Amino acid sequence: MTTQVLFFGQLTDITGTSSLKMEEATDTDQLKQALYSQFPGLAAKNFLVSVNQQVITDKTKLQPNSTVALLPPFSGG
Amino acid sequence: MSDHKPKNIFVQGPINPAFIGESIAKHASNTKIGGHSIFLGQVRADEISGKKVAAIEYTSYQEMALEKMTEIREAIFAKYPLTCMHVYHSLGVIKEGEICLFVFTSSAHRKPAIDACTECVERIKAELPVWGKELFEDEGYQWKVNQ
Repeated sequence: MTTQVLFFGQLTDITGTSSLKMEEATDTDQLKQALYSQFPGLAAKNFLVSVNQQVITDKTKLQPNSTVALLPPFSGG
Repeated sequence: MSDHKPKNIFVQGPINPAFIGESIAKHASNTKIGGHSIFLGQVRADEISGKKVAAIEYTSYQEMALEKMTEIREAIFAKYPLTCMHVYHSLGVIKEGEICLFVFTSSAHRKPAIDACTECVERIKAELPVWGKELFEDEGYQWKVNQ
């Protein structure tokens, strides 16, 4: 199962990329753990998580081809 | 007010002051309007520990931002008796002194136009997935934080 992961703002300084594909994660907690081991700097950062553009607060099951985005504090305008 | 295809608000580069003037002029034909309110965001040359901000580079999660903007637009139209509302937000590198946000509300009377404009600006800053990277004059950058 593949999940598309998007990074924005200051998080791209840590990941060095704005998107990547993750395999095997079946929910958002697993995905976050996998991302933290790949990019330890993420764990200290403040961000919201969206699944298919909906911000989630609790662990959410991932469907094949879900898009998960990590959204640091917004600073538009 | 419900629109299935979200309206685009993003423009690449700065918002041209001439475009703002033209937008105002276009409303002359709508004689039900009695008041406009306009907010313009301008890139400020902040100085941070001796380094001057020369520009802000804006990026966005565009699909999500446009969905959210549609939601904000609908909520504001439901709350205030507006004739119309226009929103433009820049993406890319915007230099100090240039306009990066243009919010324009019109109503029969001033109060709804002013209140709706204020609320719209506040919600844009708090809720739209947009990020500003403050680029220093010499080199380096820092990520913008909204107050």
